[in-house]
Amino acid sequence: MATAVGHLDGHQAVAARYRDVDPVYAETRDLRLLGFVLFLLSDCVLFSAFIFAYVYLRTSAPAWPPFLGGHQLPWFDTSFAAFNSIVLFGSGVTMHFALENWKHLNTRKFNMWLIATIILGIGFLLGQAHEYSVVGISWSGSTMGASFFTLTGMHGFHVFIGVCFLTILGIQANRGVYTGSKYFGLTAGTLYWHFVDVVWVALFFLFYLW
Amino acid sequence: MTEVMIERGAALAGAIVVGVTALFQLKNDWAAQGLDALVTKILLGLMAAGCVLALLAALNVLGARS
Repeated sequence: MATAVGHLDGHQAVAARYRDVDPVYAETRDLRLLGFVLFLLSDCVLFSAFIFAYVYLRTSAPAWPPFLGGHQLPWFDTSFAAFNSIVLFGSGVTMHFALENWKHLNTRKFNMWLIATIILGIGFLLGQAHEYSVVGISWSGSTMGASFFTLTGMHGFHVFIGVCFLTILGIQANRGVYTGSKYFGLTAGTLYWHFVDVVWVALFFLFYLW
Repeated sequence: MTEVMIERGAALAGAIVVGVTALFQLKNDWAAQGLDALVTKILLGLMAAGCVLALLAALNVLGARS
């Protein structure tokens, strides 16, 4: 096989690598993938900036949770957060299964796992909305509330965008936009969804376990 | 059975199932080449670590407040 590929010119070799007959797609795939990974890294920098601000505020506070109006603010509900985290992590696994089934040309299972991912993503957002309604602190008045709502809100917005992204990908996939060898959009969607999962790992630790 | 116990029980069971599945997928993808495979492996590994955190939280080992 290596010898056979070795006889091909550059375009054909790249196309053979992706089992694709479209050399333009094969050549630009790596570039687009690099661009998407750089986008994820820039998003990582955004979250890191807010996370370091939270760590600074927390470590420089005289007491944590801080006092507001003479009363110490409550800790966050760890048990519900652990459950909600698993809902989101579970959606990462189902998205991985969806992509694997697409690679194996199993459209029915792809749809099933993608729908499961979207449902779990919506479930996580509803859980977060429930958390906001019972958390007992507000955005204003304390560094704890400001940090919590800013970071989890920003993450929740990413999850919401991800749910929309996956829904559009599902529609596109069922309309024949992607094939068994041309599915960069689905790869990007999966990477994005894993990324929001991993950001939540950091937020879960910082707000609920630390 | 209290609401907290149900949440912790669900988190515990879910963390085991999701964590083991993530590690299993990581093992399956270990030999895969390319930037997308590399990023996927890193993210799956971190997600499995997240499951460990959720497991410890469900067992009240982490996040236990006085």
